[in-house]
Amino acid sequence: MTLYRREGKLLLQIIYMSTRDDDLKADLLQGTLDLLVLKALSAQSLHGLGVSNRISQITNGTFDVKPGSLFPALHRMEEAGWLTAEWGESENKRRAKFYSVTKAGRRQLETETEDWQRISLAIGSALRAS
Amino acid sequence: MKTLFSRAGSLLRNLTRKHQMERELTEEVGSYVELLTEKKMKEGMNEREARRAALVEVGGVEQVKEEVRAGRTGVAIETFFQDLRYGMRSLLKKPGFTLTAVIVLALGIGANTAIFSVINGVLLRSLSYANPDRIVMLWERSLAGRSEQNVVSPANFLDWQKQSASFEQMAAVAEQRVNLTGGTGEPEEIKAQFVSQTFFPALGVQPLVGRSFLPEEDTVGNDLVIILSHELWRARFGSDPEIVGKQATISGRQRTIVGVMPPGFHFLDNQVRAWMPLALDPAIDYREKTGRYLRGVARLKPGVTVQQAQGELTGIARQLEQSFPNKNTGWGINVVPMHEQVVGEIRPVLIVLLAAVAFVLLIACANVANLLLSRAAARQKELALRAALGASRGRLIRQMLTESILLALVGGGFGVLLAYWGTQVLVAFGPDYIPRLDEITIDPRVLGFTFGISLLTGIFFGLIPALQSSRPDLNDALKESSRGSTGGRGRTFRNVFVVAEVSLALVLLIGAGLMIRSFMELQAVETGFNPENVLTMRAQLPRKKYSEPHQVLDFFKQAQDRIAALPGVQAVGAISYLPLTGLASRDSFRVVGQPAAAPGQEPGVEVRVITPTYFQAMGIPLLKGRLLNERDAKESRVLLINETMAKRHFAGVDPVGKQMEVFWDGSGPDEIVGVVGDIREGALNKEPEPAIYWAHPRVPYAGMALIVRTSGDAARFGAAVQKEIRALDPDQPVADVRTMQQVIAKSIARPRFNMLLLTIFAGVALVLASVGLYGVMNYSATQRTHEVGIRMALGATRADIMRLVVGNGMTLTLIGIAIGVLASWALTRVMANLLFGITATDLPTFIGVSAVLAAVAFIANYIPARKATRVNPVIALRYE
Repeated sequence: MTLYRREGKLLLQIIYMSTRDDDLKADLLQGTLDLLVLKALSAQSLHGLGVSNRISQITNGTFDVKPGSLFPALHRMEEAGWLTAEWGESENKRRAKFYSVTKAGRRQLETETEDWQRISLAIGSALRAS
Repeated sequence: MKTLFSRAGSLLRNLTRKHQMERELTEEVGSYVELLTEKKMKEGMNEREARRAALVEVGGVEQVKEEVRAGRTGVAIETFFQDLRYGMRSLLKKPGFTLTAVIVLALGIGANTAIFSVINGVLLRSLSYANPDRIVMLWERSLAGRSEQNVVSPANFLDWQKQSASFEQMAAVAEQRVNLTGGTGEPEEIKAQFVSQTFFPALGVQPLVGRSFLPEEDTVGNDLVIILSHELWRARFGSDPEIVGKQATISGRQRTIVGVMPPGFHFLDNQVRAWMPLALDPAIDYREKTGRYLRGVARLKPGVTVQQAQGELTGIARQLEQSFPNKNTGWGINVVPMHEQVVGEIRPVLIVLLAAVAFVLLIACANVANLLLSRAAARQKELALRAALGASRGRLIRQMLTESILLALVGGGFGVLLAYWGTQVLVAFGPDYIPRLDEITIDPRVLGFTFGISLLTGIFFGLIPALQSSRPDLNDALKESSRGSTGGRGRTFRNVFVVAEVSLALVLLIGAGLMIRSFMELQAVETGFNPENVLTMRAQLPRKKYSEPHQVLDFFKQAQDRIAALPGVQAVGAISYLPLTGLASRDSFRVVGQPAAAPGQEPGVEVRVITPTYFQAMGIPLLKGRLLNERDAKESRVLLINETMAKRHFAGVDPVGKQMEVFWDGSGPDEIVGVVGDIREGALNKEPEPAIYWAHPRVPYAGMALIVRTSGDAARFGAAVQKEIRALDPDQPVADVRTMQQVIAKSIARPRFNMLLLTIFAGVALVLASVGLYGVMNYSATQRTHEVGIRMALGATRADIMRLVVGNGMTLTLIGIAIGVLASWALTRVMANLLFGITATDLPTFIGVSAVLAAVAFIANYIPARKATRVNPVIALRYE
């Protein structure tokens, strides 16, 4: 599920991207995953496993992102210009690819955050209605 | 905006620096596994446990990498080229399969497009007239059923025109051969149509250059104008753009050229080169003075149906019967829609051919399906392996699709070449009877249709294996296909396809067999004359120059004498209409002394006018009495009859010496002086009709066909004979110089063409069916290598194995043949009226053709069976 603006109106579009049946359950909704990755990288640059750990940490273990979803998302967002990547060394001296958020990525994070909050509010009030 | 630039950069990088990208991806995922392992070790696992747990959590390094690749910008382009490369490689690796599939597709697409283009051009494409569905032909109809489409009496035509209200225009057409001088080249005999002024408006066609006829030009005295066909304008007048207003001499009379028709325009006969006004004279009593010789064409008023027009004209015909009982009793009017007129006669042929097209297409599709299914079964393991290595379901399907489409495109490419070439051959071989054959080109819609059908078959049956192999339980697939089993899901399918192919091919072969047999019967017909070493030609003397009968008689007398004097010429004669050219004069008659028939019920007779030497020149025997001779002048009132006439109307009596009256000019009866042998006159497949022969002086026709019997190859005498005629009259053209054998060949060009087309189809079907059978047998023999090995190890002899494998294939073949015979029995009826001398269920054809098919099928079975018996049992047992 991605959220995006068109003529100021919030639209909901469902993109069914999953390719393998058994991955379907573990697969995060793509838009949510993008948001979480951007959020995880907003404070510091991280390598793949770092992103995965950070997401698990900031969501109190609710989301456990598997590499099968994580790497495609990272590469896709890099191609979109939201992330940049460079090779560096990990805390225990292993060569790893580190990702960081670009300016465009920060703008995207803001937009998506705003959208998410509006949706979350809307759905919350919908659920409270009797 | 930024995103767009970023993506463009990524695309460039993805496409150009692929290897580096791949290396980095491997390293990145690898480092993830390493880092995760270390993390797990820190949590207290030993190294092996930690690595294993990390790999399980990652869920397959290759799969992850594939997921990333699938998300890259430009992945579609890259995958496409990858698939294309892989597809080509795998097709080239199996040249046998690829070649077979390409041949099958090319034949299926090519042959069908070529023949369907011809059919489409003739049957389905609309006429080149404006609103052709409003145009109808008007014929007289003999209510006694002798003639459904009889030419029209000018008197009747004028009455129809006056009395009917259903038509916008009604026009009459008379066709005649005329002599053309003027422009470039020798004097030439051309076909021309004399038409009412309303002719061009009725068809809704305007001349390309100049104008059509004015109403006043359709009257006697003002009618010396002419409109040229595009072809005549080009060939004879060099496409002169200033042609309008110039003169052409037609049969000795100067006519002013007023227009040129567009290319391809013609009415019923595409040999017609010019149109002139008919100029019927209202002062002439046509009813008494002339016979029926016009063809009517009319354009319906908007909103008037063919049935309504027919109803109105039937009423008019009844009134005419009452007003003119002696001429019109028993005559009605027949309204025939133009389209029906043009294609009606050849419709049975076209329907048979259309069915043949459909059959061949079905066989080709069944074949492609079979080939792909066999191949798929053989590739099951490969596909399972690729799925296990991370290829997603969509990816496998795309790969299969790319291959099928690649195959279809290559096959289709050759098919287009074949279609192009085949159409040209068909047009070249087509007899000129086929209407509008010259307008036929490959129809892109036809090509698209056949191509589309083949492509869809390819895609559908190419997809099945991909859908099957990309199921989640790869383990089963991998295991099953490694077992070398004899079964398999596709097998029943394949067997059904083989049976269907064989039976469809048999129907086509029987159809073709019937046509061939029928054609042989036709060629074996006794013509009643000796066509060997005979040269024929026509001369039509212009009435202006040869206005007196004695001039005409002198011309042909002198021409005969001159030609007869040539060395090597044995006999020379002349006749009004050459046999087997479809032209004849007819009239009704009575035998003096026999009771008279009711008006409209008089028996008919063919009237032929000859010079006395005609019978020697043609080699027709005299059966009784004497022939005509030079002394039989106009006054001598004698005639000859043919054998059929003698049998039918003088049963049990000697006709020689009897009197009979042909109502030709109302001049009374003639004496029968002799009986001559029957000949096939109208067509080889038509029984001889009663006929009489008059001497030329009795009816001095200005147009006669000359018959020259020579001592050797008749064709060599053409130039010498023409020279003699030119010496007699330098302005006189000679037309249709050909041997009698050529005349006969042309008269059966139509059944020959039908036979040719159907034989091509049947040949294609036979090839396709045997290829299909061979493919399936070969595949099943290969699949059963393991089984054969076991049997041989257990003591089966080669003969046993042979019997097993061939028996299997022949069972399918025989089932197919049985179905095919039953289907043919039901279907060949539609071609009954295309056949001559045999019935549509001709037993020898059915048996013979089935035997041929069985023999070919046996060979297609035998080759793979022999291969199977050559197998070394030890290797066969290990075979996977």
